Amino acid sequence: MSLIPGLGLAKGMALTLRRFFEPKVTIMYPEERLDVTPKFRGRLQLLYDEWGTLKCETCFQCAQACPIECIDMGGMDTRGRYHVHWGAPETYGERREESALRRSGRPVPDPAYRPFGPIDLGALDRILEEHDHDPADLLPILEETQEAYGYLPVAALKRISHVTGAGYAMIYGTASYYGHLRFEPATAEDQARAVADHRPPEARYLAALGSALDGDGRSAKAARA
Amino acid sequence: MTVISRGWDRLTLPGKIVFTIIPLLIALTVGLVAVIAILGQPILDILAANLPIVRFVVAATIVLLMTVPTAFLIIYMEMKIIALMNLRIGPDRVGPFGSLLSVVHGLKVLMKEDFTPTGADSLVFTWAPVVVYLASVMTLLVVPFGDGIVGQAFNLGLLYFFAIGGLSVVGLLMAGWSSYNKYSLLGGLRSAAQVVSYEIPLTLSVVGLILLAGTMNIDTIVRNQAGWFTDWYVFQQPLGVLIFFIAATAEANRTPFDLTEADSEIVAGFATEYSGMRFGFFFFAEYVNVFIISALLVTLFFGGWNAPIPWPWPVSLSIDPSSWGIGLLLLIGIAPVVLTLLFATPFWVASSRIKTWQALVAGFVLANLFIVAIIGAWAYVGLNWVAGILWFMGKTYAFVFTFVWMRGTLPRVRIDQLMDFAWKWLLPASLLNLFVTAAALVVVKELR
Repeated sequence: MSLIPGLGLAKGMALTLRRFFEPKVTIMYPEERLDVTPKFRGRLQLLYDEWGTLKCETCFQCAQACPIECIDMGGMDTRGRYHVHWGAPETYGERREESALRRSGRPVPDPAYRPFGPIDLGALDRILEEHDHDPADLLPILEETQEAYGYLPVAALKRISHVTGAGYAMIYGTASYYGHLRFEPATAEDQARAVADHRPPEARYLAALGSALDGDGRSAKAARA
Repeated sequence: MTVISRGWDRLTLPGKIVFTIIPLLIALTVGLVAVIAILGQPILDILAANLPIVRFVVAATIVLLMTVPTAFLIIYMEMKIIALMNLRIGPDRVGPFGSLLSVVHGLKVLMKEDFTPTGADSLVFTWAPVVVYLASVMTLLVVPFGDGIVGQAFNLGLLYFFAIGGLSVVGLLMAGWSSYNKYSLLGGLRSAAQVVSYEIPLTLSVVGLILLAGTMNIDTIVRNQAGWFTDWYVFQQPLGVLIFFIAATAEANRTPFDLTEADSEIVAGFATEYSGMRFGFFFFAEYVNVFIISALLVTLFFGGWNAPIPWPWPVSLSIDPSSWGIGLLLLIGIAPVVLTLLFATPFWVASSRIKTWQALVAGFVLANLFIVAIIGAWAYVGLNWVAGILWFMGKTYAFVFTFVWMRGTLPRVRIDQLMDFAWKWLLPASLLNLFVTAAALVVVKELR
């Protein structure tokens, strides 16, 4: 609050009144156009010739000449044999920006992703040795890994992928297909569920029934089987 | 028969229209002349016998017709002035400097669908805009535009003004209630709360002035302020003017108190369900209100149609053109030609690159301007009411400019700040103004 009440109002009114008489910034676009700097090239666009083929010969001269290295390009060489590329898009920070990725349709990194920590891979290496690094034995390898570590650490999956040559996506898909394989340390609930799974609900009734018949549930279960 | 129909079929569409309209016009003219010739004197007698009624009807018609161009002008002013204050250009396409854009807005509003929501109380829904608009327009009947240019100068003018002006609350509530929409109802209630709250300081701020003037007749109040501008009531009621100005801003729903409408935030509250010309009436009423509060501010506190400085050398132009006889005809016939040639001569002489017709056009335009200026000056000096209207409109539009200027500058207040300000500041201030004025009057009376 200023010393004189209403001073702020007066200042604001004076400002707008001054603006009222100032030259205006609007450019009457279709009739009047801004000057463009001689270096301005507009949007890059590849041209087609009259037969409908690209005029670009992939000579890379434009990419090499580009002073701020904003051009990176790829294509087939003139004989149509090799794929050639100029410029490393991943070296430019702004291309890894989330909005740039999203615009280009590539997967966007999830900031909530927790990077996996390193683990002792000795046990995993022994398991892999037993199975001769054979990706065909993937399921036993995964099960034994889970037995050794209690769960399937990401580092272990990466290691399996790296050593056996099977794709990480395939390993992850396999691991996520089976319900008994898990990617996090087992919680108390998981353990309780595992116990419950091993002992189906009817087991209690069968045990009670067996003890009622001859004092031995096992024989009754066997008899039922 | 066949000849007529064949001839008719050969006409183009404009031809058909012209051939229909011309006989109609001839018949109407002949009929009108006959009626005037036969019944003219009795009709005149009847009209003269009921002069107050005739006067009222004429005044009401003129006021009603006057509001539409006024609203157009103020809408244009608002668009253009705020644009210029924003360093933009604003409307510049339709008409000179875009001045017809608001007319186009009006036509657009007229052409839109007139929609009534399902479940709306259609009678109330239809009448709400009319009430709001008429509440604005009818107040203009007591505002004196010039010396004697007043719809009805009766001795309760100020009371009438506030009473009729307060009717707009009814219209707002009607609109909010009948729309069958809870948001409209909320908007209507909010507007009503605001308008009713500010009605009290608005009316109380004028009571001090009524004590000073000793009358509620607006025409008399204006006449009391004749003479130098120091006689204006603004110098005797500075606090009253301030309160009146603020409360009137809120009353007309103008920034910074335009919460009822707040077009940048909400959809005009009570008018949510209105479309087409019904919405247009609300829209027009708002801008007519701006004109009305400016006019009342000028009338009550800034001398109305009085010039700020009395004409220093009294001239009595006793020009009576009707006594000139044939000279008048000669003047009307010859003066434009002579003036056109006179004004064209400098252009023609100045440069051989200016063609003769260009010089003649320039001369014609200048001659017209000259004639208009001469007639205007003669009217200003010779006719009191012309000068009055000029001064009144000038002052009023200065205040309209101020309101637009405020809209271009000030941010909107919050609803609780709005209410706090009305009840905790404006109302005590207006009471203080009233008591101080009354005490001063008593003291002055005792001293004399």
